[in-house]
Amino acid sequence: MRTLKSLAVLLAFGCYAPLVLADDASVTISSPADGAKLSKTAQTKINYEVMPGPKGDHTHLYVDDNEVGVLRQLKGTHTLESLAPGKHEICIKIVNKGHTPIGVQQCIKVSVE
Amino acid sequence: MIDLQDLGYAVVQVVHNFGAAAVVGGAAFMWYMAPQPASLQRKFAWLTGFGWGAQVLSGMGFGAISHYYYGKFPDIHDIAIAALVIKILCAMSGLAMVVLYLRYADGWADRQRRVAWQILFALGAIALSAAAFLRWFS
Repeated sequence: MRTLKSLAVLLAFGCYAPLVLADDASVTISSPADGAKLSKTAQTKINYEVMPGPKGDHTHLYVDDNEVGVLRQLKGTHTLESLAPGKHEICIKIVNKGHTPIGVQQCIKVSVE
Repeated sequence: MIDLQDLGYAVVQVVHNFGAAAVVGGAAFMWYMAPQPASLQRKFAWLTGFGWGAQVLSGMGFGAISHYYYGKFPDIHDIAIAALVIKILCAMSGLAMVVLYLRYADGWADRQRRVAWQILFALGAIALSAAAFLRWFS
Protein backbone atom coordinates (compact mmCIF):
# COMPACT_ATOMS: atom_id res chain seq x y z
CA MET A 1 0.00 0.00 0.00
CA ARG A 2 2.82 2.32 0.96
CA THR A 3 4.61 1.49 -2.28
CA LEU A 4 1.43 2.25 -4.19
CA LYS A 5 1.12 5.63 -2.48
CA SER A 6 4.72 6.45 -3.25
CA LEU A 7 4.16 5.47 -6.86
CA ALA A 8 1.05 7.63 -7.04
CA VAL A 9 2.94 10.63 -5.64
CA LEU A 10 5.82 10.05 -8.03
CA LEU A 11 3.45 9.81 -10.97
CA ALA A 12 1.53 12.89 -9.89
CA PHE A 13 4.66 15.02 -9.70
CA GLY A 14 6.44 13.30 -12.56
CA CYS A 15 3.59 13.95 -14.95
CA TYR A 16 2.86 17.42 -13.67
CA ALA A 17 3.80 19.81 -16.41
CA PRO A 18 3.28 23.41 -15.45
CA LEU A 19 3.93 26.18 -17.91
CA VAL A 20 7.65 25.95 -18.45
CA LEU A 21 9.65 28.75 -16.94
CA ALA A 22 12.46 29.86 -19.20
CA ASP A 23 14.96 30.50 -16.39
CA ASP A 24 17.88 32.71 -17.22
CA ALA A 25 16.82 33.16 -20.81
CA SER A 26 17.03 36.59 -22.37
CA VAL A 27 17.11 38.43 -25.66
CA THR A 28 18.74 41.80 -26.15
CA ILE A 29 18.51 43.80 -29.34
CA SER A 30 21.18 46.46 -28.99
CA SER A 31 20.55 48.09 -32.34
CA PRO A 32 18.55 49.49 -33.93
CA ALA A 33 17.08 51.16 -30.89
CA ASP A 34 13.40 50.89 -30.14
CA GLY A 35 11.65 53.69 -32.04
CA ALA A 36 14.58 54.23 -34.42
CA LYS A 37 13.99 55.83 -37.81
CA LEU A 38 15.64 53.95 -40.65
CA SER A 39 16.32 54.77 -44.27
CA LYS A 40 14.31 52.81 -46.82
CA THR A 41 17.38 52.47 -49.04
CA ALA A 42 19.68 51.09 -46.38
CA GLN A 43 19.88 47.52 -45.16
CA THR A 44 18.95 47.10 -41.53
CA LYS A 45 21.57 45.48 -39.36
CA ILE A 46 20.27 43.95 -36.19
CA ASN A 47 22.74 43.49 -33.36
CA TYR A 48 21.55 41.02 -30.80
CA GLU A 49 22.58 38.84 -27.94
CA VAL A 50 20.68 35.80 -26.73
CA MET A 51 20.86 33.64 -23.62
CA PRO A 52 18.70 30.62 -24.53
CA GLY A 53 18.40 29.30 -20.97
CA PRO A 54 17.74 25.63 -20.22
CA LYS A 55 14.58 25.43 -22.34
CA GLY A 56 15.69 27.43 -25.36
CA ASP A 57 17.62 26.13 -28.34
CA HIS A 58 17.84 28.82 -30.99
CA THR A 59 16.01 31.95 -32.06
CA HIS A 60 13.63 33.04 -34.75
CA LEU A 61 13.60 36.53 -36.22
CA TYR A 62 10.27 38.14 -37.12
CA VAL A 63 9.29 41.25 -39.00
CA ASP A 64 5.67 42.24 -38.46
CA ASP A 65 4.96 38.78 -37.04
CA ASN A 66 6.31 36.97 -40.10
CA GLU A 67 9.29 34.73 -39.51
CA VAL A 68 12.12 35.91 -41.72
CA GLY A 69 15.02 33.90 -40.45
CA VAL A 70 16.67 31.63 -37.95
CA LEU A 71 19.46 33.00 -35.78
CA ARG A 72 21.78 30.16 -34.87
CA GLN A 73 24.43 32.28 -33.17
CA LEU A 74 23.91 33.50 -29.65
CA LYS A 75 25.47 36.86 -30.38
CA GLY A 76 25.93 38.64 -33.65
CA THR A 77 24.55 40.76 -36.41
CA HIS A 78 21.85 39.86 -38.88
CA THR A 79 21.20 41.91 -41.97
CA LEU A 80 17.63 42.40 -43.09
CA GLU A 81 16.68 43.24 -46.63
CA SER A 82 15.41 46.75 -47.06
CA LEU A 83 12.12 47.29 -45.31
CA ALA A 84 9.18 48.96 -46.96
CA PRO A 85 8.41 52.48 -45.80
CA GLY A 86 6.21 52.62 -42.74
CA LYS A 87 6.19 51.28 -39.23
CA HIS A 88 7.50 47.79 -38.52
CA GLU A 89 7.94 45.57 -35.54
CA ILE A 90 11.09 43.46 -35.34
CA CYS A 91 11.11 40.61 -32.83
CA ILE A 92 13.60 37.97 -31.78
CA LYS A 93 12.02 35.01 -30.00
CA ILE A 94 13.77 32.14 -28.29
CA VAL A 95 12.36 28.79 -29.41
CA ASN A 96 12.94 25.24 -28.21
CA LYS A 97 14.24 22.30 -30.24
CA GLY A 98 10.75 21.85 -31.65
CA HIS A 99 10.68 25.47 -32.91
CA THR A 100 8.07 26.52 -30.36
CA PRO A 101 8.55 29.96 -28.78
CA ILE A 102 9.24 29.52 -25.06
CA GLY A 103 7.90 32.98 -24.20
CA VAL A 104 11.16 34.91 -24.04
CA GLN A 105 11.51 37.59 -26.69
CA GLN A 106 12.37 41.18 -27.40
CA CYS A 107 10.57 43.31 -29.90
CA ILE A 108 11.39 46.77 -31.16
CA LYS A 109 9.42 49.15 -33.30
CA VAL A 110 11.11 51.02 -36.11
CA SER A 111 9.86 53.36 -38.76
CA VAL A 112 11.27 53.36 -42.24
CA GLU A 113 11.26 56.58 -44.24
CA MET B 1 16.88 14.33 -13.81
CA ILE B 2 15.39 13.69 -17.22
CA ASP B 3 13.33 16.53 -18.60
CA LEU B 4 9.92 15.13 -19.53
CA GLN B 5 9.58 17.52 -22.43
CA ASP B 6 12.87 16.40 -23.98
CA LEU B 7 11.97 12.78 -23.28
CA GLY B 8 8.65 13.29 -25.05
CA TYR B 9 10.29 14.82 -28.12
CA ALA B 10 12.89 12.03 -28.16
CA VAL B 11 10.30 9.23 -27.96
CA VAL B 12 8.24 10.85 -30.72
CA GLN B 13 11.42 11.26 -32.79
CA VAL B 14 12.22 7.55 -32.38
CA VAL B 15 8.77 6.63 -33.73
CA HIS B 16 9.15 9.18 -36.54
CA ASN B 17 12.57 7.82 -37.53
CA PHE B 18 11.41 4.20 -37.59
CA GLY B 19 8.38 5.28 -39.60
CA ALA B 20 10.66 6.94 -42.14
CA ALA B 21 12.88 3.87 -42.31
CA ALA B 22 9.84 1.65 -42.90
CA VAL B 23 8.26 3.74 -45.67
CA VAL B 24 11.46 4.18 -47.63
CA GLY B 25 13.23 0.93 -46.76
CA GLY B 26 10.20 -1.32 -47.17
CA ALA B 27 9.30 0.08 -50.56
CA ALA B 28 12.92 0.15 -51.75
CA PHE B 29 13.45 -3.47 -50.72
CA MET B 30 10.32 -4.71 -52.51
CA TRP B 31 11.16 -2.68 -55.60
CA TYR B 32 14.76 -3.87 -55.70
CA MET B 33 13.95 -7.50 -54.92
CA ALA B 34 10.89 -7.77 -57.17
CA PRO B 35 9.22 -10.02 -57.95
CA GLN B 36 8.67 -11.59 -54.53
CA PRO B 37 5.89 -13.97 -53.43
CA ALA B 38 2.57 -12.17 -53.03
CA SER B 39 2.35 -13.06 -49.34
CA LEU B 40 5.72 -11.42 -48.63
CA GLN B 41 4.78 -8.32 -50.61
CA ARG B 42 1.58 -8.10 -48.62
CA LYS B 43 3.55 -8.19 -45.37
CA PHE B 44 5.74 -5.38 -46.63
CA ALA B 45 2.67 -3.42 -47.66
CA TRP B 46 1.45 -3.66 -44.06
CA LEU B 47 4.90 -2.61 -42.83
CA THR B 48 4.88 0.39 -45.17
CA GLY B 49 1.35 1.26 -44.05
CA PHE B 50 2.35 1.12 -40.40
CA GLY B 51 5.36 3.26 -41.29
CA TRP B 52 3.14 5.95 -42.79
CA GLY B 53 0.80 5.70 -39.82
CA ALA B 54 3.75 6.14 -37.47
CA GLN B 55 4.87 9.16 -39.50
CA VAL B 56 1.46 10.80 -39.23
CA LEU B 57 0.94 10.09 -35.54
CA SER B 58 4.47 11.07 -34.50
CA GLY B 59 4.27 14.21 -36.64
CA MET B 60 1.15 15.16 -34.74
CA GLY B 61 3.00 14.20 -31.56
CA PHE B 62 5.61 16.91 -32.10
CA GLY B 63 2.88 19.51 -32.31
CA ALA B 64 1.02 18.04 -29.35
CA ILE B 65 4.05 18.21 -27.07
CA SER B 66 4.69 21.83 -28.04
CA HIS B 67 1.08 22.68 -27.38
CA TYR B 68 1.07 20.86 -24.06
CA TYR B 69 4.10 22.70 -22.71
CA TYR B 70 3.75 26.13 -24.32
CA GLY B 71 0.13 26.37 -25.39
CA LYS B 72 1.12 26.86 -29.02
CA PHE B 73 2.29 24.90 -32.02
CA PRO B 74 5.80 25.17 -33.51
CA ASP B 75 6.44 28.44 -35.27
CA ILE B 76 7.87 27.67 -38.67
CA HIS B 77 8.98 29.58 -41.75
CA ASP B 78 7.13 29.61 -45.08
CA ILE B 79 9.61 27.17 -46.66
CA ALA B 80 9.19 24.83 -43.71
CA ILE B 81 5.41 25.09 -43.99
CA ALA B 82 5.66 24.11 -47.66
CA ALA B 83 7.86 21.15 -46.69
CA LEU B 84 5.34 20.12 -44.04
CA VAL B 85 2.48 20.27 -46.53
CA ILE B 86 4.50 18.09 -48.92
CA LYS B 87 5.11 15.58 -46.13
CA ILE B 88 1.42 15.49 -45.26
CA LEU B 89 0.44 14.97 -48.91
CA CYS B 90 3.01 12.17 -49.22
CA ALA B 91 1.66 10.50 -46.07
CA MET B 92 -1.93 10.70 -47.28
CA SER B 93 -0.95 9.37 -50.70
CA GLY B 94 1.23 6.66 -49.15
CA LEU B 95 -1.57 5.47 -46.91
CA ALA B 96 -4.02 5.51 -49.82
CA MET B 97 -1.54 3.54 -51.96
CA VAL B 98 -1.09 0.93 -49.25
CA VAL B 99 -4.86 0.56 -48.86
CA LEU B 100 -5.19 0.13 -52.62
CA TYR B 101 -2.39 -2.41 -52.60
CA LEU B 102 -3.88 -4.46 -49.77
CA ARG B 103 -7.33 -4.31 -51.32
CA TYR B 104 -6.59 -4.96 -54.98
CA ALA B 105 -3.03 -6.22 -55.49
CA ASP B 106 -4.10 -9.89 -55.55
CA GLY B 107 -5.34 -9.28 -59.06
CA TRP B 108 -2.33 -7.26 -60.23
CA ALA B 109 0.44 -8.47 -62.48
CA ASP B 110 4.07 -8.36 -61.29
CA ARG B 111 4.68 -5.26 -63.36
CA GLN B 112 1.79 -3.41 -61.72
CA ARG B 113 3.00 -4.37 -58.26
CA ARG B 114 6.46 -3.16 -59.13
CA VAL B 115 5.02 0.19 -60.19
CA ALA B 116 3.14 0.36 -56.89
CA TRP B 117 6.38 -0.14 -54.95
CA GLN B 118 8.11 2.46 -57.12
CA ILE B 119 5.36 4.95 -56.32
CA LEU B 120 5.58 4.13 -52.61
CA PHE B 121 9.35 4.52 -52.70
CA ALA B 122 9.05 7.88 -54.47
CA LEU B 123 6.54 9.12 -51.89
CA GLY B 124 8.84 8.04 -49.06
CA ALA B 125 11.89 9.63 -50.66
CA ILE B 126 10.04 12.91 -51.28
CA ALA B 127 8.77 12.97 -47.69
CA LEU B 128 12.23 12.26 -46.34
CA SER B 129 13.72 15.03 -48.48
CA ALA B 130 11.02 17.46 -47.37
CA ALA B 131 11.84 16.56 -43.77
CA ALA B 132 15.32 17.98 -44.20
CA PHE B 133 13.89 21.32 -45.37
CA LEU B 134 11.37 21.27 -42.54
CA ARG B 135 14.19 20.71 -40.07
CA TRP B 136 16.57 23.39 -41.29
CA PHE B 137 14.22 26.08 -42.57
CA SER B 138 12.07 26.20 -39.46
